[in-house]
Amino acid sequence: MTAQHEPQHLLGAYVLGALDEQEARAVEEYLATSPEARAEVAELREMEDFLGELPPEAMLDGPPEGGDLLLQRTLRQVRQERGGQVRRRQFAAGAAAAVITAAVLGSGVAVGRSTAPSPVAQPPATSQPAPPPGTKIGTTTDPSTGTRMTVQVRPAAGWVRVNASVAGVPAGQKCKLVVVSRDGSREEAGSWLVSAVGEADGTNLDGSALIDPADVVAVEVENFDGTRFASVQV
Amino acid sequence: MAALWSRKREAAADEALIRSLYEEHGRALLAYATRLTGDRAAAEDVVQETLVRAWRHPDSLVNGKGSVRGWLLTVARNIVTDRYRAKASRPQEVAESPATPPVQRDHAESVVDSVVVLEALDQLSSDHRDVLVEIYFRGRSVTEAAQALGVPPGTVKSRSHYALRALRETFSGQHVALKGVAG
Repeated sequence: MTAQHEPQHLLGAYVLGALDEQEARAVEEYLATSPEARAEVAELREMEDFLGELPPEAMLDGPPEGGDLLLQRTLRQVRQERGGQVRRRQFAAGAAAAVITAAVLGSGVAVGRSTAPSPVAQPPATSQPAPPPGTKIGTTTDPSTGTRMTVQVRPAAGWVRVNASVAGVPAGQKCKLVVVSRDGSREEAGSWLVSAVGEADGTNLDGSALIDPADVVAVEVENFDGTRFASVQV
Repeated sequence: MAALWSRKREAAADEALIRSLYEEHGRALLAYATRLTGDRAAAEDVVQETLVRAWRHPDSLVNGKGSVRGWLLTVARNIVTDRYRAKASRPQEVAESPATPPVQRDHAESVVDSVVVLEALDQLSSDHRDVLVEIYFRGRSVTEAAQALGVPPGTVKSRSHYALRALRETFSGQHVALKGVAG
């Protein structure tokens, strides 16, 4: 065994699960006798967790296979956008040249064209379809529970569709989304179990309830014991 | 005419920028977008939009390869998320189905982390990075990684150890050069 094969140099490969059974056993025996090695393994595991933050695709290199049309479409779009407007970036690079041109031509036209404030009319990046008429949106942060909730209530024919984002309910809570009617009646629009991610980053829910769109006054989150976490007036 | 010449040069620069991003990051972007959307055609649209946004914001591309890729992946993910949200709010659409896996909606944090990880990987020596890519990201065994990298298996084992240690040094803010230790 060379120095490189001593157990303390295998801890990384061990953490990454790349050792064969025999080597892994040798490392485990070593760990049992060495608190320092156990501490090191704990640190290396943190790094492994950290690598897990990356989508696996992030480490691929090169152009995509069969992506020629994609490249051509992208180049075309860029050419069209470039042609359609005088861009700020171009101004920075081309201003000096434009001034010289103007001086040579003795005309303000070139300057006028090149330095006119560029209409940065970038097309909206993503098209958000307009919600149907009568859609109501509400948001709240409950002062006592700290629950944050945003809801959208969209009318259907005599009933409503509900989309809610709920964050801050403690993980492990069994929750219901409840739509409240003007006359006080309550309809459940869905239920879920709050995960750790849901507690921190929020859970997005789609549901529906048979309450006339005109009668909806609030959407609430409560657990199965009836404890209310948040109520949004709409 | 100077203005015309300059415009032509700008157009050539645009094309070179798009091509180099595509050549270097296209595969990662398309694979990532394909997994998020579950649809190659939709994924191509996402990549196209991502590259165009990169071209519109060249100042976001000035750092190292790792952070450029992190930026591109972040943008791709945001596009997918926005489109997914748009789709979900359309009444006639059914909610989530197995064919269209749900996208984690509040993703800002995890995306920031992946940018940080990519930047950290960028600072490793290529020996260290390669061994992590083979073993961690491609899931290869020590023997397979050794063959792919053309080094003895013992070297793969010790390098994976020093690579994780070097990563840790990077995160703790002490940029200790462990390159010399690579065995």
